Amino acid sequence: MLHLPRWQTIAIIIFTALAGIFALPNILPDSVDDLLPKWYAQNRINLGLDLRGGAHFLLEADLRGVLNERMTNVADSLRGELRKKQVAFKEVAAEPNGHVTVELRDEAQRATAIEAIRAVDPSLVAAGTGPVIDISFSDQELTRKRKEVIDQSIEILRRRVDETGTLEPTIVREGSDRILLQVPGIKDTTELKSKINQTAKLTFHLVNENVAAASGGGLPAVLPPTTFLVPTREGMQALKATNIKAYDEIQSANPRLTPEQICRRYHPPCLPVFKRVVVGGEDLDDAKATFDQQQGGRPIISFTFNAAGGRSFCAATRQNIGKRLAIQLDNEIISAPVVQSAICGGSGIITGSFTPQQTQEQALLLRSGALPATLTIIEERTVGADLGADAIHAGTVAALVGTGLVMFFMFGTYGPLFGGFANLAMAVNLLLVLAGMSVLGASLTLPGIAGLVLTVGMSVDSNVLIYERVREERANGRSALGALTAGYERALTAVIDSNFTALIAGVLLFGFGSGPIRGFATSLSLGLLTHLFTATIFTRMLLATWMRWRRPTELTL
Amino acid sequence: MLWKPHHIVPAHTKFDFMGKRVWALGLSTLINVLSLVGVFVFGLNFGIDFEGGIAIQVRAKQGTIHLDELRATAAALGIGEVSLQEFGDKSSALIRVQRQEGNAECVAHADTVMKRRAGNGWSVKPGASGTGDVVFTGPSQLDSAGWRDAVSRVGLTVLERELPRNNTNTVKIDMTPEQRAEWCQQVAIKVVDDAISEKYDIRGTESVGPKIGAELMHSGIIAVLATLGAIAVYMWFRFEWQFGIGALISMLHDVISTIGIFVLFRLDFSLTALAAVLTIAGYSINDTVVVFDRVRENMRRYKKLGLIDLLNLSINETLSRTVMTSITVFVAVAALVIFGGPVLYSFSIAMLWGVIVGTYSSIWIACAGLVYLKLRPEQLRHEEEGAKAKT
Repeated sequence: MLHLPRWQTIAIIIFTALAGIFALPNILPDSVDDLLPKWYAQNRINLGLDLRGGAHFLLEADLRGVLNERMTNVADSLRGELRKKQVAFKEVAAEPNGHVTVELRDEAQRATAIEAIRAVDPSLVAAGTGPVIDISFSDQELTRKRKEVIDQSIEILRRRVDETGTLEPTIVREGSDRILLQVPGIKDTTELKSKINQTAKLTFHLVNENVAAASGGGLPAVLPPTTFLVPTREGMQALKATNIKAYDEIQSANPRLTPEQICRRYHPPCLPVFKRVVVGGEDLDDAKATFDQQQGGRPIISFTFNAAGGRSFCAATRQNIGKRLAIQLDNEIISAPVVQSAICGGSGIITGSFTPQQTQEQALLLRSGALPATLTIIEERTVGADLGADAIHAGTVAALVGTGLVMFFMFGTYGPLFGGFANLAMAVNLLLVLAGMSVLGASLTLPGIAGLVLTVGMSVDSNVLIYERVREERANGRSALGALTAGYERALTAVIDSNFTALIAGVLLFGFGSGPIRGFATSLSLGLLTHLFTATIFTRMLLATWMRWRRPTELTL
Repeated sequence: MLWKPHHIVPAHTKFDFMGKRVWALGLSTLINVLSLVGVFVFGLNFGIDFEGGIAIQVRAKQGTIHLDELRATAAALGIGEVSLQEFGDKSSALIRVQRQEGNAECVAHADTVMKRRAGNGWSVKPGASGTGDVVFTGPSQLDSAGWRDAVSRVGLTVLERELPRNNTNTVKIDMTPEQRAEWCQQVAIKVVDDAISEKYDIRGTESVGPKIGAELMHSGIIAVLATLGAIAVYMWFRFEWQFGIGALISMLHDVISTIGIFVLFRLDFSLTALAAVLTIAGYSINDTVVVFDRVRENMRRYKKLGLIDLLNLSINETLSRTVMTSITVFVAVAALVIFGGPVLYSFSIAMLWGVIVGTYSSIWIACAGLVYLKLRPEQLRHEEEGAKAKT
């Protein structure tokens, strides 16, 4: 006889109830949701773009431009370095393929030249023979560079999309040099496309320490004409966390507010800075998070300017030691480090009590003004909201009718009791899939609904297998209880095998597919996984409980 | 009738399935050969996912759609092959435009669009031949942000940094021919938009560039092969190598004949269609597992029974199961075909066929495979010994 320990029965019931609780926010009205804790209420299935309407872009970053630019700078620095080391050269040329070639006058100076190359950038690789040296970045460095460019492009995209006031964009890396951008609810993509390649505005300004000291952290009533107020990034983040309404107002204001207006109206922490730009972000070559070798390896940010930027920066820092230099990005001050010493030679560091994560973030922000690659749209799909509504309607009707037909069929074939068991297991399976998708925050797409319908059709299959086996065992002369037990146990291997094979297809489809197809693979694979639970454990519980309760001698099957 | 159980398939059938295997194999071979011939002669009707191109869903602002009129309008646009079909209801249509080449015509289109959208003072000209460069000229001087905004009117996204910082009234955009081809997709959308927006609403647009189309095709083929291979290996581990090969043959049979359905009905072979093919491969094996499981069980029980009789017995014993499980999925998919709407139509039709052919192939093809692979009861022994050794 089928037996299930009591604790397992209880565990199954608790598990199912939990699934119900997690799936619940999907059907709760918004007014109720607002009363519930956020971590719970946000367990909702997102509708995919094909259902809610919106735009989907696949963007490809053109890395050649970035690389060539880097190489031009390498060539510039190398010329200086070679002169310093008194190496005579015919030419140092940046090639369009991302290489730099050096032709020496004297082959004997090759070793010194390579030393100079290392001094410029240790990640450079030197090849070639005789007086010619062929320089390129190591593969490792190229991979790092690629990742950096993509991360940075993602950061820039996020800012740009936020500016358009749309909510919840999805921006993720795809493969090595692509970005997937999904913006729900947007109809006209023209503005967005125009914004995609807009460069972030990064500028360095000196802080007006006199004004800052006079106002003592508060807002100065009067400002000299040379100075303006800019909110700090931290301040804006804090505003976003405490007063989201104000933040949204700022983001969606039309015409856009100036930094000073933001400071005056919403009072986030602001800094008075000189309007004059010390250096622009276009002169910043690179910024990366590293560790201070001298001071016990604490996290710092190192940055490099091109020649012009280096000169302006050198002059400004020499005259303003002890003062703060504000780094402004898109109307926010991302940091204002104190100038410790004159920074000449084009590169410097920012120190402070940073965590490695903070330095990563700061470096990324600094790079937002420099070095990005052109993003080309290689795939675009837009769905109007009304089209999405049509799809929701069609999907819902198909799902309801499909489920109804399957239930009707199971009742008709196996009677109210066993048909009911099968339909109950199927309903629980559906509940588990929905709960799973809610917890994972997965998107439900139109093909995803098709996956759910298939799940419904497939999840009663295990009951069919069990019942048909029971009928067979019964025909072979077993008792009612014996037939049920044997039928369940013998059908089990086939149930598990058939689920696994279908799961293989589902998982591979997930790995390969994109967008809506991934939605299909998600709901189908989840359905198969949860089906393993309902088919093996849940159905077992139903049958075992029923058998213990009724002790049947005859089966209406 | 709902309140008492029914036996849809009689409990004890004694049909000589394997006796008809030559007929079944003949029929299947014919269907598969015809499918393959169809693919090579008529070709699959690849959707834009694999071919690249543009698909635009439109709806008439008033009344029903006039396909002939719309077709004539679209054909005169000079953006290559355009095809139209009714989509969903009488007032909606799907316009498909072929993948765009980054040629001079495309730049001429961009010029027209630019003049229409930004004013007559604008012009767009191709740059030096051999490159994909494009030269924009405007009526007044613009800075980099202005240029960025201006070129985006024709769907071109250019990095602001790469545009001239000082005010100019002409700018050359450096592009490779490949990048220009991707951009021309955007231009073509705007050309269609301008031509039809007076009478039609655009409800949705899809544009797949040449590059991504080729990649999706490549990875799609890999996905199908990997799925078939992985399932066959799973069957081999769970059963015997003969079962693995039998399953593989029946899956190939289902996949190829499903593709045949796409050729026969000229269904759109898109990413969803590929999803259907993979799901069919995974699903058709379900019934095969049920039959194989019973074959294995019976081989142990009836050691003296000949293979043909053994297979017949196993198939008949499991017949109600294979048929019933297929019916449940069939009714669910039928609901998708009828109510699922135009987007899911090809997918659902393919799935419907897959359910039928999957059941058929599990019975005849997979089992007939076992006959020709000369499965012998004694080959199961090592597994039994293995099982004994474990306990």
